[in-house]
Amino acid sequence: MSSSDIVKSALSEGRTKLLEHEALKLMELYGIKVADYGFAVTPAEAGLISEKIGYPVVVKVVSPDISHKTDVGGVILGLKSRDEVVQGCEKIVKNVSERQPGARVTGFLVQKMMPQGLEVIIGATRDQVFGPVVMFGLGGIFVEVLRDVTFRVAPVSLQDALEMLGEIKASKILDGYRSLPPVDKKAIASMIVSLSKLMEENPYISSVDLNPVIAYSSGAVVVDARVIIGKSGVVNR
Amino acid sequence: MLDMFFKPSSVAIVGATPKEGKVGRVILENFKNKFKGYVYPVNPHYQEILGLKAYSSLQEIPGSVDLVVIATPAKTVPQVLEDAGVKGVKGAIIISGGFRETGTVEGAMLEEEVKKISSRHGIRVIGPNCIGVIDNWSGVDTFFLPEDKMKRPPRGYISVVSQSGAFASALLDWMAYHGYGLSKAISFGNKVDVDEIELLEYLADDPSTNLVFVYIEGVKENRGRDFMETARKVSARKPVVVYKAGKTKRGGAAAASHTAALAGDYALYRGVFKQSRVLEATSFDEIMDLAKVLSTQPLMKGRRVYIVTDAGGVGVMLTDALELSGLEVPETPADLRERLRGILPPHCIVGNPIDLTGDTDDERFIRVLNEILPRSDVDAVVVVALPQIPGLKGSLFDYLVEAKKYGKPILVVLIGGELAEKYWRFLEEKGIPVFESPERLAKALWALYTYSQIRIHGGTS
Repeated sequence: MSSSDIVKSALSEGRTKLLEHEALKLMELYGIKVADYGFAVTPAEAGLISEKIGYPVVVKVVSPDISHKTDVGGVILGLKSRDEVVQGCEKIVKNVSERQPGARVTGFLVQKMMPQGLEVIIGATRDQVFGPVVMFGLGGIFVEVLRDVTFRVAPVSLQDALEMLGEIKASKILDGYRSLPPVDKKAIASMIVSLSKLMEENPYISSVDLNPVIAYSSGAVVVDARVIIGKSGVVNR
Repeated sequence: MLDMFFKPSSVAIVGATPKEGKVGRVILENFKNKFKGYVYPVNPHYQEILGLKAYSSLQEIPGSVDLVVIATPAKTVPQVLEDAGVKGVKGAIIISGGFRETGTVEGAMLEEEVKKISSRHGIRVIGPNCIGVIDNWSGVDTFFLPEDKMKRPPRGYISVVSQSGAFASALLDWMAYHGYGLSKAISFGNKVDVDEIELLEYLADDPSTNLVFVYIEGVKENRGRDFMETARKVSARKPVVVYKAGKTKRGGAAAASHTAALAGDYALYRGVFKQSRVLEATSFDEIMDLAKVLSTQPLMKGRRVYIVTDAGGVGVMLTDALELSGLEVPETPADLRERLRGILPPHCIVGNPIDLTGDTDDERFIRVLNEILPRSDVDAVVVVALPQIPGLKGSLFDYLVEAKKYGKPILVVLIGGELAEKYWRFLEEKGIPVFESPERLAKALWALYTYSQIRIHGGTS
């Protein structure tokens, strides 16, 4: 499946957002590293997938109707065996039916739990004036409270992206502090470059949040991807 | 391509009037006093205005007309443009308000009509709802603020492009007071035709502009990439300083994603400015600080700054400010140390800052500057010459003007009262920027360094 197939099929179903496994697949098509994952329709299938991925894993509900998975009990972390995964999926179905009755459950995303690292945010949107733009910031309070983010208009080069990393006020944190080693800036920067390319080549994608991306001393991995789609030129402003 | 607005050979002023305090009178006076070409007042109620023969319509004017300035009520503007089209006019500056900015259907429709008629006749338009153009070199001046209220800056090389007419007027008055030279100023109002992008392109080619200052609130929808491309092209030839107003407006707007919500105008514009290689002034002070340094100083090859001072404390303040901004205040190298030791009394400090102390005279300054200015390991020099000390008589300042021959940025710190102001005016008139605040000097010098890197390497610093 190509990136435009993924987007088109979602659009044809009248959706404005990709399902999480679709979003992750899309990132992979652009060479963006994502945490190991699999999509399961049944709890038993989820169990099989978790065996392949290796533990611990996290299971998330996949549903076109749910926008805040955690709020409806749609996410269970730290599952350590096949049985736990199967039971976890059943628990999720129960939680959803209680807290958001009527929400369709398309299936389950089984995802490798990533070790701790530095959480960063990489995003993209389509601006009315400048067209596709990319964003970078650190996760948590840095983006939520301090709005410490930086933007560039696509296309961006690796050099532009590295400049973005150096531009946020908290950029020193990328060089390591306390127990955290310096992170792999080039891996983050390449991810920004790839996302810029994705935005340029897919006019039906109106915005993307990769939040969080966990950065390590070697490499960086997307844990959660949110992709908003719409007719070309639709702007989220 | 926009020459008709800046170098017309003949101008008609529709709505010219002898009535005191009226827009049409101020504009006519401006042209009458400064413009060298033909000036034709148009107003059917007069035979003669301010001693010039008046015409009842554009058609009646015997010769050709390059530019028409329109200052009549909005509803009359379409007819004036029709007449202008028949007359073969090339450009129109529409001062009149009463168009889209009113938020009324009638106003918006009138604006559409203006657009249609002018493009049908091939007339280029600045405005409507603007104060138009000042060209200090040709004498074009449609700013309807009388000279006794708004002084015009002296002729110079800074050009100003402003979305806001009121801000442009205030800035020009301020420039006049401080003696900063102006080449052109353009306020384009509702920009039905000519916008900041085309003006930037024009000013890039203008030999009497060596720095462009742009005040923007926002770029038009879908024109963002054109703006960036043009700004980058202009920056490769002359510095572009931008001030973005409306930094907070849409910051918290609800949006479909995190990223979209964070793309509040300003965060995005900051990235845009970097990519466009333009220099952003982040405060009012910085606008002229950057402009006066960048429009007068040669490029700065590296980041090594030497400070020569008669006041130890200010030298330290300046060192802090320069280092914090990203510039270097390097240790004086051994060979230079030795040479300075040879020409300075023992109580002077030959490190950097080079402290000549309070008993210095002009000559001591000049001897030291003669040593350091020609050196290849010196990229810029800041002279701190607090004029209160007894030995300073002023020949240092004549020397600094002469020292421009070394092709290096030279900036001066002067702090004080009347005497400081006298020297300050002298130096700035000769193109040597003076600052009171070490911090502001550092920011402006950093901007010069950044711009120099853009010019030297074609990239970022």
